[in-house]
Amino acid sequence: MNATIIDPLQGDFPEVIEEYLEHGIMKCIAFNRRGTLLAAGCADGSCVIWDFETRGIAKELRDSDHVAPITSVCWSKDGHYLLASATDKSLTLWNVSSGKNVARATLQQTTLHARLHPSSSAPSICLACPLSSAPILVDLNTGNTTVLPVSVSVAGPSTVSHSRNKFADGSSPFTPTAATFSKYGDLIYVGNSKGEILIMDYQNKHVHGMVSVQGGAVIKSMVFSRNGQYLLTNSNDRTIRVFENLLPSKGGVKALEEVSETLGCELEVVEKAKMVGSKCLVLSREFQDSVNRSHWKAPCFSGDGEWVVGALASKGEHKIYIWGKAGNLVKILEGPKEALTDLAWHPVHPIVASVSLAGFVYIWAKDYTENWSAFAPDFKELEENEEYEEREDEFDMMPETEKVKEEDVNEDEEVDILAFGKDSAFSDSDLSQEELCFLPAIPSPDVPEQQEKCLGSSSKLEGSTPSGSPLSEEAGQNEQEVNPGSSLFEAVGNSAAEEVATNGRVKRRRKPSEKVLELQADKGRKPSTKKKCAGKQSKNKNKSGAQENGTGELDEYVTDERN
Amino acid sequence: MAAGGGNQPPQIAPYRPYRLLRTLTGHSRAVSCVKFSYDGTSLASASLDKTLIIYSSATLDTIWRLVGHSEGVSDLAWSSDSHYVCSASDDRTLRIWDAHNGECVKTLKGHSGFVFCVNFNPQSNLIVSGAFDYTLRIWDVKTGKCVRVIEAHSDPVTSVHFIRDGSIIVSGSHDGSCKIWDAATGACLKTLIDDKVPAVSFAKFSPNGKFILVATLNDTLKLWNYSTGKFLKLYTGHVNRQYCITSTFSVTNGKYIVSGSEDNCVYLWDLQGKNMIQKLEGHSDTVISVSCHPTENKIASAGLDKDRTVKIWVQDA
Repeated sequence: MNATIIDPLQGDFPEVIEEYLEHGIMKCIAFNRRGTLLAAGCADGSCVIWDFETRGIAKELRDSDHVAPITSVCWSKDGHYLLASATDKSLTLWNVSSGKNVARATLQQTTLHARLHPSSSAPSICLACPLSSAPILVDLNTGNTTVLPVSVSVAGPSTVSHSRNKFADGSSPFTPTAATFSKYGDLIYVGNSKGEILIMDYQNKHVHGMVSVQGGAVIKSMVFSRNGQYLLTNSNDRTIRVFENLLPSKGGVKALEEVSETLGCELEVVEKAKMVGSKCLVLSREFQDSVNRSHWKAPCFSGDGEWVVGALASKGEHKIYIWGKAGNLVKILEGPKEALTDLAWHPVHPIVASVSLAGFVYIWAKDYTENWSAFAPDFKELEENEEYEEREDEFDMMPETEKVKEEDVNEDEEVDILAFGKDSAFSDSDLSQEELCFLPAIPSPDVPEQQEKCLGSSSKLEGSTPSGSPLSEEAGQNEQEVNPGSSLFEAVGNSAAEEVATNGRVKRRRKPSEKVLELQADKGRKPSTKKKCAGKQSKNKNKSGAQENGTGELDEYVTDERN
Repeated sequence: MAAGGGNQPPQIAPYRPYRLLRTLTGHSRAVSCVKFSYDGTSLASASLDKTLIIYSSATLDTIWRLVGHSEGVSDLAWSSDSHYVCSASDDRTLRIWDAHNGECVKTLKGHSGFVFCVNFNPQSNLIVSGAFDYTLRIWDVKTGKCVRVIEAHSDPVTSVHFIRDGSIIVSGSHDGSCKIWDAATGACLKTLIDDKVPAVSFAKFSPNGKFILVATLNDTLKLWNYSTGKFLKLYTGHVNRQYCITSTFSVTNGKYIVSGSEDNCVYLWDLQGKNMIQKLEGHSDTVISVSCHPTENKIASAGLDKDRTVKIWVQDA
């Protein structure tokens, strides 16, 4: 963001759950390139796009014919398209703004991870990693599929469309593999079941180099950092490895060919590949859970590549580990006791979104601390005590120095109010088409009944307790407790509370400010971090214990029809 | 339409003065705010007569009259796609109107005092409002829910504005302070001014988001660099002691600062030179609001109760 006064320590890591998103059962998530939208694939085959700023649903992508649970979602670089893979072996490409399904392909096996080609010049090419066979390049428009080689001895690709999982080297078909594009899509990195990373040319599928991961364990997933400088692998030996990418971002193929040439032709194919590979990737760090020796799920980098995050793949636990690039464990985030199915770090902010088995998306963010120097223009936060030197004229009636202060600034300097600098975080844009950052927010019309209510009440400026609600008595009482100072509460539920129902039980909650927490503590109420808002009462004012959760806790969603 | 004062700094082209084109008399009480839409096709005005009017910017015909508020309207804002208008009213609500059909789409309730100022964020999925209950509220446009309440000030909030990427909000208040808030967390990021007197009557970001134009009730307009916390330019000559007069940047033909004034005139200053370039006379009461067309050299101004008109000024070709 170009606002220079936002805390520069933004490049930090999250600490607490800020809120959670609920909509059906979500299985997998992906942020768009700028982190303004979050796509979630659901168990009912639909994809939901959340507006991350308002934490509300911006769009639902739904096709009534296809209801198989989604296994992965991936945004195109320009944000216009979303690729979703499902358990019915299909891959669907959605146009996000129109909400229409623009392409579909069906493969031989269910795809676990699908990724769109990063370059805008190949908008319909995607890389699909099926459950237990070699990665496939799919052209969604034509339906052509190309199975990628999974070991060095294979000379070239097999371009038979709809090929069965045959490998020229005769290896068993049920070998899980992982694959990812390089930053600009000119190279493909494939990790196979022998723990080898193959670096191949995207155009001709020729394997240039190979890196053997120590231990030879099956590689389950691979992902690059956003700047393409680091590659992360998650292996079956319960270790997350980070490799440094020595190839240049652009012109990687050329560099590889040069290296190949310098090595000459005398070397045997595999040996040569290994030598080339060693010039491409260098093991930088390894991360393990030495205590429990658990497997990892969905490891990835932070947006700036400074942090590595991974979740424990254990049932009944929602634990997220954050390491610094140097290898030190900095934080363990512990969520509610539900297994974690997917994880994503926000591209720009220190925010992590994690999906639990129950289908909720938890948003983790930094704990809010007051910035004391913000409260007055001349406040300055000090790291340590400073000795204050009094000026000679400090206590004069009219200190000389103060008179001089105003003229410090050169008032004749040219001021430019129009030019703005490029956003450095997104300088790698190679887009020919304009990027889609936001979906238009169309206000959903108020229900007419509400309109009457509001006309009625707004004419009575001396507020009266709302009537006609089944909870009106309680509501009345509670509102008296709450009292005129209730502007201190974060009032979320206004008369549009019914909207909650129509939006499919969308529930959002902002972190309460310190004052609110204090007040609530005083009144003996605890803020609940998790409430299943299933109540669909027609004139719902205060959701008190009359509902299914029956906790009797007063929901702090105070309405505004107050005095 | 007297031409501006004595020393004009050397300019690239001689300054072409603005002249009165039309006077629009649709309101029956003081006009509180006037704004051109971002696409330049429409003009909206809000009034203490509880209504808003949307005009065609080209023909200046009235297109819609937006009726629904039960008390006077103090401020209005256009969404970035120029499809919706949000109004802030003394009936403590805000209303979102569809500018294409004149219907009220949503009513935002939650403030406990007169809502005084409103603005959309550039993405137009959020609305920020400031009220006499001393708070700022951020609303979700789609659902109408209040997403955040910020206990911002200790006196009525007079002005709120989002920066061009929607990440921070500037607010001004009668308590004399001008503060900057993080839109995502509601945290106070900076206090630009914190003197008790004079009251800050208006605050707005420059188009590139690097500067803030702040008006205070001591006849002064200042252009601040909020990162350094120092003001760079000072504009005076107008009268502003009582009302929250809006000012704006004119960038279509040279860079100017335009503001209303309590001496019934519209003032134009050269942005760099700070000298007053022109004083537009014609209103018969305080000019409370001004707005510049996004592409044409057109200014709209609104007058208070003794005047009740919206005047359109243009530069001769």
